[in-house]
Amino acid sequence: MTRTEILIELKKVFAPYTTNKEMLDGITDETDLIKDLKINSANLVDIIIDAEAKYDIEIDYDSADKIINVGTCIDLIMEKLNHDK
Amino acid sequence: MTSAGNDIVSLNAINITRTKHYRFYSKILSPTEKALYNQAAFAAIPFENFVWLLWSIKESAYKYLKRNNPDLVFTPVKFILTDLLIPSRYILANFEGIQMEGAGFGNIPALKGVVTFGIHTLYSESLLYRELIVSFVNGDENFENICWGVKLIGANDASCQSIEVRKFLIDRLHHILHLDGLVTGKTPGGIPVVLNEGEELAVAISLSHHGWFVGYSFQLSESLKR
Repeated sequence: MTRTEILIELKKVFAPYTTNKEMLDGITDETDLIKDLKINSANLVDIIIDAEAKYDIEIDYDSADKIINVGTCIDLIMEKLNHDK
Repeated sequence: MTSAGNDIVSLNAINITRTKHYRFYSKILSPTEKALYNQAAFAAIPFENFVWLLWSIKESAYKYLKRNNPDLVFTPVKFILTDLLIPSRYILANFEGIQMEGAGFGNIPALKGVVTFGIHTLYSESLLYRELIVSFVNGDENFENICWGVKLIGANDASCQSIEVRKFLIDRLHHILHLDGLVTGKTPGGIPVVLNEGEELAVAISLSHHGWFVGYSFQLSESLKR
């Protein structure tokens, strides 16, 4: 799976939890989940659970400290996908 | 250390079914905290509320420490509740009225906790109502220096939450400090601060919002108390 493919799917994961739909359309690696997408921190666990289901991976919350911006999310998912191969 | 940390959870905005799933709550609770819930004292608290109570304490502790360590990242399972006491006269009640404000918790039936993160030990006070959980964290067991507030607002969109929580805080600070030029700002690291006529004030603040509720806490430095 390429970074672009993961990015497209991640938009769908973020969609229910962001109020900043305009920003979601144009997200980049640098887009911050809380500051830019206005995702409430209480929804970060939801995003992890949804990403786990979508990619059939397991993200322990120790790894979750990498969930800061879109780029680090993609890095984490790629790392888990490669690890589970 | 002068700092502040608070977090609020609107219980109408949580997904109860999902919260009860091991896959969800295991990302928030450590095994010892799950055992803590099995104590008889917590029988009156639904498990999903317990999970979000601990979330709010942990996020408050994270905010408290982040002020002096801007690179800190929130990892809930690394913040460990070692003690949590429910007041003997505690009864789950509705959040009455529009807002509550105070300094310390005195006779208010708050849940008292002790939370550790690495070498740090912090103390928490939490208010738990049917509609919301709000927690406050301090580096000292004595919360008399901690001013706090919780308010029900008229809309739940991010823009309104942001405006309302800042106005709520500034009104309280204005009442205490009698300064007319107070506004909130943020450091480059995203830490909230208060400015007076463009100068940063020696007050540590923490803001929170979720759903229809907003909350603040702050601690004035010794120089501002004089």
